[in-house]
Amino acid sequence: MRSWRRSKRNWRERRGSEEKAAVRLFRYARPDSIGEAAALLDQYGPEAKILAGGTDLLVRIRTGHTRPQMVIDLKRVATLATGITEIDSRLRFSALTTMTDVLEDKRVKRHFPALADAAHVVGSVQIRNRATLTGNICNASPAADTVPALLVSGAIVNMAGMDIPRSVPLSEFFTGPGKTILNRGELVESIDLPLPAQRTAAAFGRVTRRWGVDLATINLCCAVEASGKVRFAYGSAAPRPVLVEDSSGLLVDPGAHPDEKDALLRQLISHTSPRTDVRGSRDYRDAMLLVTSRRALRSAIDRLKDEAT
Amino acid sequence: MAASQVGSSLKRVGGVERVTGTQQYAADIRLDNVLHVKLVHLDCARAKIMAIDKSAASRVAGVRFIMTAADLPQPMPRCGPAYSDRPVLAVGETKYFGEPVAAVAAETKDAAEEAAALVCVEYEELPAVLTIEAALDPASPLVQDPAIRPNDPLAGSNILKAWAFDRGEAGNMSADCVIENDYTFPMVTHFAIEPHVFLAAPDPNGVIIWTPIQHPYVLQRVVASALEWPVSKVRIIAPDPGGGFGGKGWPKFEPLVAFLALKTGRPVRLVLTLEETFQAVRRASAHIHIKTGFALDGRIAFQDIAADFLIGAYADVGPRVVSKGSYAACGPYRTPQARIRARALLSHTTPSTAFRGFGTPQASWAVESQLNEAAEKLGIDRAEIRRRNLPAKGEAFIPNDTPADGDWVQALNSATEAIGWEKPLGKNRGRGVSLGLKSSSTASASFAIVRLHFDGSASVLSATSDMGQGARTVFTQIAAGELGIDPGRITIVMGDTAVVPFDSSTSASRSTVFMGNAIMKACADIRMQLQKMAAQVFVLAQDAITVGGGLVRTAEKTWTYAEFLGIYFGPPRGEVIGVGSARSEYLRDHPLGGKPVFWEMMCVAAEVEVDPETGMTHVHKLVLVSDIGKALNPRQVEAQDEGAAMMGLGHTLMEHLILDEHGRILNLGALDYRIPTIQDIPLDLYSILIENADGPGPFGAKGAGEGGTLALSAAVGAAVNEAAGVKIRDLPLTPERIWRAVEERRKRVVTSNQISMKEG
Amino acid sequence: MQAEKISITVTVNGERRTIETFPHHTLLEFLRDQLGLTGTKECCSQGECGSCTVLMNGRSVDSCLVLAVEADAGEIVTIEGTGSPGKLSALQAAFAETGAVQCGFCIPGMIMSAGYLLQRNPHPTVEEIKEGLDGNLCRCAGYSLIIQAVKKAAEAGE
Repeated sequence: MRSWRRSKRNWRERRGSEEKAAVRLFRYARPDSIGEAAALLDQYGPEAKILAGGTDLLVRIRTGHTRPQMVIDLKRVATLATGITEIDSRLRFSALTTMTDVLEDKRVKRHFPALADAAHVVGSVQIRNRATLTGNICNASPAADTVPALLVSGAIVNMAGMDIPRSVPLSEFFTGPGKTILNRGELVESIDLPLPAQRTAAAFGRVTRRWGVDLATINLCCAVEASGKVRFAYGSAAPRPVLVEDSSGLLVDPGAHPDEKDALLRQLISHTSPRTDVRGSRDYRDAMLLVTSRRALRSAIDRLKDEAT
Repeated sequence: MAASQVGSSLKRVGGVERVTGTQQYAADIRLDNVLHVKLVHLDCARAKIMAIDKSAASRVAGVRFIMTAADLPQPMPRCGPAYSDRPVLAVGETKYFGEPVAAVAAETKDAAEEAAALVCVEYEELPAVLTIEAALDPASPLVQDPAIRPNDPLAGSNILKAWAFDRGEAGNMSADCVIENDYTFPMVTHFAIEPHVFLAAPDPNGVIIWTPIQHPYVLQRVVASALEWPVSKVRIIAPDPGGGFGGKGWPKFEPLVAFLALKTGRPVRLVLTLEETFQAVRRASAHIHIKTGFALDGRIAFQDIAADFLIGAYADVGPRVVSKGSYAACGPYRTPQARIRARALLSHTTPSTAFRGFGTPQASWAVESQLNEAAEKLGIDRAEIRRRNLPAKGEAFIPNDTPADGDWVQALNSATEAIGWEKPLGKNRGRGVSLGLKSSSTASASFAIVRLHFDGSASVLSATSDMGQGARTVFTQIAAGELGIDPGRITIVMGDTAVVPFDSSTSASRSTVFMGNAIMKACADIRMQLQKMAAQVFVLAQDAITVGGGLVRTAEKTWTYAEFLGIYFGPPRGEVIGVGSARSEYLRDHPLGGKPVFWEMMCVAAEVEVDPETGMTHVHKLVLVSDIGKALNPRQVEAQDEGAAMMGLGHTLMEHLILDEHGRILNLGALDYRIPTIQDIPLDLYSILIENADGPGPFGAKGAGEGGTLALSAAVGAAVNEAAGVKIRDLPLTPERIWRAVEERRKRVVTSNQISMKEG
Repeated sequence: MQAEKISITVTVNGERRTIETFPHHTLLEFLRDQLGLTGTKECCSQGECGSCTVLMNGRSVDSCLVLAVEADAGEIVTIEGTGSPGKLSALQAAFAETGAVQCGFCIPGMIMSAGYLLQRNPHPTVEEIKEGLDGNLCRCAGYSLIIQAVKKAAEAGE
């Protein structure tokens, strides 16, 4: 929302201008290789937008939030459509993997059920049939539902383009709301999730305004390792998703007092900075981060126990 | 008179078209040579228009005309159903977020969209009146120029109109137990799944307008007055709406497209986006200050109600909503003494219009909540306190008006039984029960024509709008029953003022009663004509002929209609035209212009569970009891009741338009304006119909369709308040609002514990 | 920038066609305005209401969020390709019979979504039906009649 800091009297506004013209026109390209896509990205820079599932891009074009001159459709790039594969004890999600693909995959359900749960709440069936996991991270909305689960599971982003391919942990991928570290001419090729080395369980939680399809007021994921290490990733609570870790073991200690656990949870949450917007106020978000953290922690601990048996 | 079809759930006429996608809605109409229209509006509620520069926009290929106020007759035509205040386009100043300042007509949608973005408007934003407080503040700007309300003593204020209803003894209002509170009801929008569509074309006879309007004849009158033409030159064709709920009742941009069509000499087509639809229609929000007096046994001694409704920048039908809702604000209860003061307040917001419930949801939220609070204070069960105050059938409960016309205690008891009122409640659960009463149509008129064709089939011509309530089906059932014709051989013709006769409106749950009765009379007219015709052709006394069940009978012979008409007319053929009408009297001295022909009453009981940590509400059980007289098509009534209930759940739990300080709607569009989805329905939903044949309509029917919106919030709200242990008097009961109330109560408890610990 | 058309070949309701379309037009606009298939409806244009639901390459999608050009070499099924007034599908018949159809504007999208659900899950529970239709808004009905209609069609063995 724009901030309005101007005097009310004698302010002249102009509505309608050349730059707002050609409201929805753009060129459309369908490269069939990463190289071709990267070259187009490099050529057009910020005037180009990638089209994978389109569920974010088309909304932004319609509202005028983005006015690309070039839309690059990646769906003919075969190397990006390899789906979900197991490579070197990692689960690799190619860039065109949809949410439906994610939540229906047996390996995801087995190793990363929290991610399956998160993918499950992204929009409706129709949205999930198109929206891609990669698109969710590249759009870099602080409210992205799959990001917390990816973060606690140590996701790695594999990028390719005009420069040499590189990979970064997802925790370093976001630079601000809607912003990533992708360079000009670069795109995400795939996302890797390392299969957990030790027993780990994670649980996803979120708060919404109604039971039906909704954007999250807050969302988070909690991962618990058999060693007692606990990680939390929070979404919709700061300009970038926040990942924190605690190795004290207190949170999984059945003997610890709830107040002690709460204090620690609050400390972890203090790394977030929720705001007030149409979906919720800051103090509600703050309170819900704690409530949801407790519940997700409980679920993760239970899941870990279930896995042991 | 056969009633074989009535009371059965005949399959919805028009159902096949809708499930196959062949039903034609207004946006599906293809007109040759049409120009596409796009509106130009500003990014704030109120602004002074300094200049409009069309030059860049005009250069877009395909643009044919860009209309601004300067292109319309001077002075600007103003119209509206009650007050002629709404200009065709904003002139001088915009008065609400979304009011169009220009309209572009172009060969393609793309060209219109591009040109609309290029229309350059220089404007100065002005302070806007956006709340009830602001509207009442004498220092606030006036929303309407006093010059357009000459001779109006209130013209120097933002109070458009005020009402006072006093009942019982004048003077001192006292009682053993007095409860005084403030309640608020939010601004919500209709969000019919079909956004608004307006088409117009010049015609040799004048102009034709296609729009899914609920009241074609009102529109005809308003457009004719804007054009300064006789009504006979304005033809309205109304395709079945994709949802109306009142939002498609009253004129919006039809005068604009009429002027555009006449100016360009071509058909024009304006399809609003969903966002523009939100900007065009809403319900009046309200603040109600209420003082209720009770005797110790729970009987109501008095009601002292001050209701302020925030209507929009133009009156539309806003004032009527306030008067009707306030007149019946005391609900279906004996109220020995009442003092009701209601005001319709103008604001720089979307003009509020009719919306299912029509003022009663706002009032009943307050009145029903008061009963709950009294019950708690006096130690009386919340259902019992209502029982003690409900009038018996036939009893007057509003002086000089239609008495109670149903067994309302029966409705209440059905509801409490179905919800399991006496059963113990689980943790974090609560229950509520409420009764909502709405005055149906008061003074209105419906005319119907029925044509019996020479082959024994029939057409029914009716201006009722079938927007989902199934009017076509019910009328088919009535005509089939009255004439004894198979429903498959009856065609219902609606929606074209050149063809169907006058009807006041499709609103106020009136159509089954009024139009239904008119159709019955038209059928009776046909039967009588057939009798006369038979007497004439067979040279018999009239009473030797009987007509019924699709047959014409003498003592010796029987003919089907087709056979008889063949005999009567011979090879040249012909038809029998029946005319019927139903009117209720206009009473000048009655505050509503007439007594309601029936009271629409619904009792709602709810059981909910609230998660105290998040404020999320599960509606476990919802019971809807409708006092309906006679359900001509039970399945359709139930469907309407459930739909109305879901709408009620919407404004109770999640719907509210959020405005910023510039009057812009922040949650504009489907993304952030939340309505109930399939996941939000109650786990158990029971629809009970009470049929005592005590209504004025065909076979003792009353109207239906609005019940679920009337008092649902009070029942669900009471349940939520009980489940969470709070007392929230503002809607909607969003999770955050409930959470906040729970937190505040928790803090109060902690504080008082601390105090008592200190003292102890 | 001038708008330049692109030629696409798309199979719609079993019929293969080659047509020129603008890259910035959505599949919804393409179906309604270029092909005259007005059974698919436009409401929110943001993928929230589901009234524009069609099947694309076998999956249910919101056609307002798909560019027409993305349908190139693809297969689209709309409500017009699903039964007809003379021969309703079991699902269409069930909707018509249970009173689930009121104003009808959401119904084409609802039926497309329900058909997709039943294709993949022929005997869904009420919970599964709710989840499958979560992306289709209806403002008229209480949804429960819609759920009844889907159950009825499932029993009829769609």
